[in-house]
Amino acid sequence: MEKTITVTVNGTAYTRTVPLRLLLVDFIRDECGLTGTHIGCTYEGRCGACTVQIEGRAHKSCMKLAVQADGKEITTIEGLGSRDNLHRLQQAFSRYHALQCGFCTSGILMNAVDFLNENINPSEAEVRRALVGNLCRCTGYSHIVEAILAASATRHGLKPVPPPAETEPPP
Amino acid sequence: MYPAPIEAYFAPRTIDGALQCRAEAGDDAMFIAGGMSLMQAMKARLATPRALIDLNEVEELSGLAKGPRGVTVRPLTRYRELAVTTALHGALQAIGDAASTVGDRQVRNAGTIGGSLCWNYVASCMPNVCLCLDATLVLASLERGERGVPINEFLIGPLETARRDDELLVEINFPASKVYGVGSAYRKYGGTVDGLPIVGIAALIEVDETGLCTDARFSVGGILPTARRFDGVGDALLGRSGTPAAFVEAASAAADAIETQTDHLASAHYRKVLIRTLGRDVLAEAHARATGG
Repeated sequence: MEKTITVTVNGTAYTRTVPLRLLLVDFIRDECGLTGTHIGCTYEGRCGACTVQIEGRAHKSCMKLAVQADGKEITTIEGLGSRDNLHRLQQAFSRYHALQCGFCTSGILMNAVDFLNENINPSEAEVRRALVGNLCRCTGYSHIVEAILAASATRHGLKPVPPPAETEPPP
Repeated sequence: MYPAPIEAYFAPRTIDGALQCRAEAGDDAMFIAGGMSLMQAMKARLATPRALIDLNEVEELSGLAKGPRGVTVRPLTRYRELAVTTALHGALQAIGDAASTVGDRQVRNAGTIGGSLCWNYVASCMPNVCLCLDATLVLASLERGERGVPINEFLIGPLETARRDDELLVEINFPASKVYGVGSAYRKYGGTVDGLPIVGIAALIEVDETGLCTDARFSVGGILPTARRFDGVGDALLGRSGTPAAFVEAASAAADAIETQTDHLASAHYRKVLIRTLGRDVLAEAHARATGG
């Protein structure tokens, strides 16, 4: 019913004895204490908020058992960048206002980083299609798409389309 | 929801090892590949396996091989790999069409062609595509060795196949094409982008040196009890050059002949409309690939 596993998360090895049915997302949150990986849809595999990278590829961590990650390298949002050293995509998300409540953001970032490694110069349509597995209830996706395109552009030394102008709230 | 308690978990590294694990685990054990269907069923408690045999570390179950007798796709090959490979262009391009539009990026990174075939969900793309492309599946068991099963005998009904519980799908074989030009294509239509379709259509067209059609295959998914071939498309296409009118005629014949069902997604009539319109486009695409056009 239980198994002892070692999973490397963001470069740190975590050895734990876990129930076989424990989902990977709960291992990351409860055993590793890394709560940046979110559960948005009670493990239905729909929302994508629990997306992490396993061996560099984006996976929904509610769709795997923790024991299936034994011996694997996982990167979560905590391993992507730090407050003082944001990942290029995190900088773009900040600059382009690509989040409101932020609940879906970590999953989108972990998916989009994998996407930009695979497709180094995507079109807007390709970016939108890459986001099918991540639900955002706040933004309507427009700014998320702009941020991902901007991150792609800056990677190539190109000047991205500037973010929308700040508008003053009515008095 | 959450999976029910699991008593045993195996992660074999070879096919023989996987079959040994199955024998050791006994009944109520299930093989798990990408897990995109089975994990969902486990979380919903539709499936409550006592033991899981995880195939993800079995390297010999993954990859593509081209030989004189055709193409072998190993069942653990992920959608992502099938979507990007150029090895399937031409006769087997419908596989890439389907693989590149399954689910979402995360699903394509994990889900496998073999898992989809063995699960045989009614609307899923791979059973339909493999039916159109005349796949033969090789199933292995510890006690009875290997057997080959043609795809039309393998797909039985919703979530039902000819695979016995102790058998493991080890190869998906597609016949070699001997003719001048051959092309295949797949398209689907559903309520959400890349989601499970209401109707999916796969088609294959072969032409000779003069551009006349020598073989035409057409299959429909999203209908009960399982994906179905309609060989009547040949009446409109064989011995003729592909024209838009011929594709309309062939797809209309399919829509008239194939029985469709009404459910919460669409009416039976709407499914027929989709078979007609998608079918026309898929035939045209397959023909364009066959003729290099």
